[in-house]
Amino acid sequence: MVRFKNRYFLCEIISDDSRFQQCLDERAVHNTVKNVIARMHGDFGLACCSIAFSVKYLNAYTGIVLLCCRKDFHRLLWSSLPFITYLESRNQRYPCSFNTLHVGATIRTCQKFLIHYNSNQLLALLRNCTSEADRQAIQESVQSCMFVEEEQFHSKDEESDDSMQMA
Amino acid sequence: MIESGDDKGFKPASYERIVLKNASEYYYLKIYLEFQEVGISLNAVEFKQLIISALKRLHGEVGAALPVDVLSYEEKTLLAILRVPITGLVKLWSALTLLDSYQNRKCAFRVIQTSPFLLALAGNSRELVLD
Repeated sequence: MVRFKNRYFLCEIISDDSRFQQCLDERAVHNTVKNVIARMHGDFGLACCSIAFSVKYLNAYTGIVLLCCRKDFHRLLWSSLPFITYLESRNQRYPCSFNTLHVGATIRTCQKFLIHYNSNQLLALLRNCTSEADRQAIQESVQSCMFVEEEQFHSKDEESDDSMQMA
Repeated sequence: MIESGDDKGFKPASYERIVLKNASEYYYLKIYLEFQEVGISLNAVEFKQLIISALKRLHGEVGAALPVDVLSYEEKTLLAILRVPITGLVKLWSALTLLDSYQNRKCAFRVIQTSPFLLALAGNSRELVLD
């Protein structure tokens, strides 16, 4: 048996609109991406990318989405993403753009990248913050994510590696 | 390389492998448009528009951006010679195949000949009358 090979796109949705967070849901992202593939690559591209295409993860607060599609056609999806200019939700259009952060073969590599990316973002915030209260809050969150989350994550990894070897 | 079973006193002839990759830049297609009804004519602009709309439907804006050239077109017989870069041949051919109607009238593109050389389209061995 051979597994189906997928590609996961970790994208960041950038928008200036303040009401954007509330309207961000999986169906809206799904429809928007499908529409743009249909526009750029026609019926053929849409049919190719529709195989196993799904929105695996969506974080409305940070605007991070994880898209999944088959490896054979991931270039079609990849080349379409820059052409997204708006997100349509409840008959309203919100201008936005997609920024591809990472393309990975498994959800786990994407998760690892996202944790690194987010901790880097926190450090950047810490460098640029102005007030003392902000600084303290960010420092706390940096410490919590550094020491607790990473250790948990590593132990999980080791466990899964051990189980792989056992199998 | 083929190896013989007994190699005593047998020297393989020295040979060199020549690989001819298809280095030509363009492909040429001779096509004609067939309608179910008779007496429909369209000029060269409409013909090109039809091809581009077929490409756009199947392959989207990327397909519609393919540099397809209509080198010659006859309005009476609806016969045309197209030129397309070799990378876009499959896209063009599939789009032509899947086109089914022009202004709600059924039609089909028939690809008569394809060749990387334009001169090859001058004659068609299938239409030769042998004595």
